[in-house]
Amino acid sequence: MAIRRKKIYLLSMAILVGLFISWVVSPIALAVTPPDVDPEKSVEDMYFRLVTHGGDDPFWAVVHKGMLDAAKELGCKADIDLCGGDLALQQKRFREAVAMGPDGIAVVINDDTAWDKPVEDALVRGVNVIGINNDDKEGAKGNARICYIGQSERRAGLMVARRLFEKAKELGWDLTKAHVAMPVEVPGAMYGVVRAQGVQDAMKEYGITSFEIIDAGGLEASTVEARETSYLLGHPETTFMIGLGGICTDRITDSLKATGYGPGEILGGGFDCAPGTLTGLKEEYMVATIDQQQYLQGYLGVYVLYLMKKYGFAPNIDTGGYLVDKETLARVVEELSPLHIR
Amino acid sequence: MPLINLKMSYIHKFFSYRAANTLIVFVGLILFFAFFTPRHVFVNPRNITSLSKLMPDLGIVALGVGMLMICGEFDLSVSSVLPLCAFIFISLLKVNINPSFALCITLGSGALLGLLNGIITVKGRIPSFITTLGTMMFWRGILYVGSHMWPIGLRAYLPPGSVFEHIFVGKIGGIPVQVIWFIAFAVILGIILHFHKFGNWVYATGDNKLAARAMGINTDRTKTICFIIVGVLCAFVGILQILRMETFGCTQGIGFELKAIAASVVGGTFLMGGIGSMMGIFLGAITIQILENGLILMRVPVFGISAFIGLAIVLFVILNTYIERRRTR
Repeated sequence: MAIRRKKIYLLSMAILVGLFISWVVSPIALAVTPPDVDPEKSVEDMYFRLVTHGGDDPFWAVVHKGMLDAAKELGCKADIDLCGGDLALQQKRFREAVAMGPDGIAVVINDDTAWDKPVEDALVRGVNVIGINNDDKEGAKGNARICYIGQSERRAGLMVARRLFEKAKELGWDLTKAHVAMPVEVPGAMYGVVRAQGVQDAMKEYGITSFEIIDAGGLEASTVEARETSYLLGHPETTFMIGLGGICTDRITDSLKATGYGPGEILGGGFDCAPGTLTGLKEEYMVATIDQQQYLQGYLGVYVLYLMKKYGFAPNIDTGGYLVDKETLARVVEELSPLHIR
Repeated sequence: MPLINLKMSYIHKFFSYRAANTLIVFVGLILFFAFFTPRHVFVNPRNITSLSKLMPDLGIVALGVGMLMICGEFDLSVSSVLPLCAFIFISLLKVNINPSFALCITLGSGALLGLLNGIITVKGRIPSFITTLGTMMFWRGILYVGSHMWPIGLRAYLPPGSVFEHIFVGKIGGIPVQVIWFIAFAVILGIILHFHKFGNWVYATGDNKLAARAMGINTDRTKTICFIIVGVLCAFVGILQILRMETFGCTQGIGFELKAIAASVVGGTFLMGGIGSMMGIFLGAITIQILENGLILMRVPVFGISAFIGLAIVLFVILNTYIERRRTR
């Protein structure tokens, strides 16, 4: 009888300990949710969705092409949502996509908290979710997405700023008196915030303290150019202008020309390889730009979701940080840009 | 004494013009920025040249939108018609169509898109706000499908330095041609609005449609023509932008729909229609742009610049409403 009681006691304790351990590790378990795998499913029957905050600009056209190319190669179906920076709409599209029960969703995690629950809910429903283009600041600790494909925005900001500051040092400029202007199309958007942090990291390294983030007035090129030009005229202390987005970077060259600066008088840099940026690199108004190779985000997004469904692969891939300057411009970008791959 | 009376009469006459208050604010802003911007950079030739080059983009669109507002209608589709026409233009150049011929086809396309807005609004008897909201989304969707949102460089199809390019984005005596086009459109539309019977129809239609009809005015046709004018002006600006930036981008014109309305309102145009002037719209379009320019030059934090512009628009509307009330008292 005593032995039986002892057994019941031990069993109860074991259950309690088990429950306690599962309670403690449940957040960890959620953070590393294993993907839903179905090796038997034919690729022709697979459907993937890319839910992005992207808008009607060339950057997302390249992501879209990457997605289409991958879907064509694999023979699966894939769609992209471009929500124009509207987070509420993007979340609505995400939930609609989950309700359709696709074989995987690649989502742009452009908010540190807003995507926590939707992603968890989707994973609970057996829909594989990966992050592309933008990730939670804490990565896998901050969001339950299975893996991430994209560039580290902060590192990219750091890289391009370092390149500009290094060039200034070569020219013998006194960087303690330097002023960095950072125009951004959508103030407050995560890409701009994190890239600006990267630029500021580089500023600390080089002892630069003066900077301003400029509201460039949206995606319309004339407005962006007008604001950049006005800023340059009104702030002659500006030594660097780093566009935090593709359109702002694209307009820097024309703004510098309009204000009468020659190549190298103010060092320009930024992100993406829009036509104006490439012209600026050629004419040496721009020192460098970051190509985040966004084609890969669309292309690998579909491939990773396919391999995840088929075999359970979940790789994290850094697509970005490719620094383009005058030397690498012709070889790498100009050949691929007409093909809409970069 | 008679001299004083004469002066008073001139002053009274000046203030009876609807654009007078906009003109006063416009001149006031110019003087203020000229004196108070650091190093008087506002009147720096580079700033004036830059403004002259960039202002006409929104300004020309605002001229058409303002005229349409006087007629009692809105056009929100300008932000889609403009890039769509730009896309048509560059696509025609891609297939080796002569630029002048491509220009005519593009302007015709703009007219057609305006005509469609007009027909849907007047025949469907639905508010133009809804019609053009729908066509804005529809044409933008078509543009995305057609262009895949890819930028298209101009230089592969039109070499630099062509006469065609100089006509639209060149310089005459150091003055960007764009500003001359802007003034020319303002003068032409001003003559039509204020000195031609069509202008009377526009005011009558916007003020009281039923009364206008009773007077024998074909209000539907009047509105449709105003929509066509907006379409043509959008097409023109689409071409100007391509030639200036040397590339087509599908973000061209984004946000112009509300900015053009704001420019018209600042110029004294009433949202309900029937009230406004071409001079007012012209000055309004310049005013909201120099306000932005001047504030940045004055080193106001650029991150909050939209707050000042929003405030200015509301103050203008309050001022216009007050003056109009006093005028009609």
